[in-house]
Amino acid sequence: MAQKKKLYALTGKKKYSFNLPLTETIKIGKRHYKIMIKEDEKHGTYILWKNRRYPVEIIQSRQNKFEILFNYVSYSFTIETPFSLKRKRYLDNARGKIETEKIQAPMPGKIIEVLVREGTEISRGEPLLILEAMKMQNEINCPHSGVVTSVNVKNEMNVMKDDVMIEIKIAK
Amino acid sequence: MKIKNILIANRGEIAVRIMKTAGKMGISNTVIKTAAEPSAMYLSLADNVFDDTESVSEIPVFLDIDRLIHIANETGADAIHPGYGFLAENPYFAQKCLDNKIIFIGPSPDSIYKMGNKTIARKIALANNIPMASGSKGQIPTEKDAIIVARSIGYPVIIKASSGGGGRGMRIVRKEEDMPKMFRLASNEADKAFSDPSVFIEKYIENPKHIEFQILGDKFGNIIHLGERECSVQRKHQKLLEEAPSSALDSKLRDEMGKIAIKISSAVGYYSAGTVEFLLDSKGSFYFMEMNTRIQVEHPVTELITGTDLIEQQISIAEGKKLKLVQEDIKLAGWAIECRINAEDVQAGFSPAPGKIEQIIMPEGDNIRVDSGVKTGSVIAANFDSMIAKLIVKGKDRKEALKNCKHALDKVWIKGTKTTLPFFRMLIRNERFLNGTITTSFIENELDNYHVNSEYEELLAAWMATWLFVDENLDESNLKIDAEEAKNLSPWLLNKRISRH
Repeated sequence: MAQKKKLYALTGKKKYSFNLPLTETIKIGKRHYKIMIKEDEKHGTYILWKNRRYPVEIIQSRQNKFEILFNYVSYSFTIETPFSLKRKRYLDNARGKIETEKIQAPMPGKIIEVLVREGTEISRGEPLLILEAMKMQNEINCPHSGVVTSVNVKNEMNVMKDDVMIEIKIAK
Repeated sequence: MKIKNILIANRGEIAVRIMKTAGKMGISNTVIKTAAEPSAMYLSLADNVFDDTESVSEIPVFLDIDRLIHIANETGADAIHPGYGFLAENPYFAQKCLDNKIIFIGPSPDSIYKMGNKTIARKIALANNIPMASGSKGQIPTEKDAIIVARSIGYPVIIKASSGGGGRGMRIVRKEEDMPKMFRLASNEADKAFSDPSVFIEKYIENPKHIEFQILGDKFGNIIHLGERECSVQRKHQKLLEEAPSSALDSKLRDEMGKIAIKISSAVGYYSAGTVEFLLDSKGSFYFMEMNTRIQVEHPVTELITGTDLIEQQISIAEGKKLKLVQEDIKLAGWAIECRINAEDVQAGFSPAPGKIEQIIMPEGDNIRVDSGVKTGSVIAANFDSMIAKLIVKGKDRKEALKNCKHALDKVWIKGTKTTLPFFRMLIRNERFLNGTITTSFIENELDNYHVNSEYEELLAAWMATWLFVDENLDESNLKIDAEEAKNLSPWLLNKRISRH
């Protein structure tokens, strides 16, 4: 049973599909366009597309996860095969039942004040903590109503971008 | 007194900018090499470099008054230009220069002090009938006082730091119950940023435009204005793009606001270059906000439409020369736009993204000016601001300036760090920005996305990611194994994997 070999690049809810073997062409509508990865000393690595150079940088590459800076905008993709995609869907569904929300640091900074504790019942929009970043103090508000299940930070602590600061069990 | 050697107490693009004019005027310059950026571009362009890399001081040299005076004496500099930021608006520094017979290229310590302290500035403005948002008479000591004052002027109000600037220590309060928390936040932030927790309260003007007037005054009491700049494109009170003139002003309003700007400057005996900031509401009423007693980041847009060199004016005023320009000489010609290209991650709340500039190619042309302190190989250090370059574009009118700006942005090539370019590429295509009606709340309240969204660019990026994956893993046989494994994977094993997460 010969299944057509494909790879998917997933970002958010979008899925881009590419046939294997991967060629240096992209099909848009009925037309095929040439796409090339090039490099020279003046520009570094770039993509040549319709006679225009686009700057491209690999910010992160970990197993099947890639963050690409394309024309200064960052895109994150997970690359899946048809089978691994099926498996991922199954895993995501199972995981979805737990319904916890992780509050991650939107930028690197310092915790000024934690305003909740484990067990605090909290409604949507209420402040969770104050994070100082770029010399500004920012309130981090709760995206969903629920109960605080874990507080991983304390006052005066430094956090990096994407550090999980607080976890919340979302109320049904 | 003719200046012979200027010590530039600054770094980055403004150090380069000051050098250019000094060179043109036949004045030599001295700059300071710091351990934080020992191979910065401004060093390679300077006449004299003072090596301060061995300094063990905990304060950065650009904030160390005694050290700067010492360096000026050591290097034979007879004047100091402070640039912007750092000590540019520190009255004690200006005074220390005077005491040591060094010319401070800026206003008098007294003017800096009066305008720098926002509660004093408010009192002076009030005494001179300068239109202002109603507010507290002086500093607000406690949350309770804040509530009383806010009740008398009516919500919404804005809490501001007395020693403030740059948007720090500011909070908008819309209802009384939020006051205690906001008061604390503003006061804490002010204390951290300016070592002064004192705050005051003003009526908050909803959806204003930020309009500022460039003024020039000499030591003989002559003061003129060089028209306005509009800086409504700002996020958390940080300016991102500025233009001159403003589409919100006609010549009558420009004349009226310009006269008020001159009036408040005269009230403090102002000389040198300065900027009077106003808020302009939708009905055409304007309110004095504050005066910045320094050269500003966005000064080039004024230079481009007035044909003046503001640094040259600052220097010649500091030398004690009379202003050669009179108000009638100032004619605004054309339209200029400045984009602040910073090393920031727009998609992560404009957080700083320091790093090494692997490649930088900036556009060139008759209508383009680039003020920058970096070149290929430069490092944007976390210690300093995240400015990479200011892209300043001109056109005969706003429409042409916008068109030129769009093309120029497409020609910028920067590799190595994330930049604010996606933001500008989005903005330059935004209807509301293009028609010139945006206010200071636009960025935060009316935009869903801070970067350009292009579906086909995402597709190209997806192809690139897939290409990398194939390059690293494939070997198509691997895929086959993966497929076999997936087929044979039991639900039990899957559940085990879930619990591990």
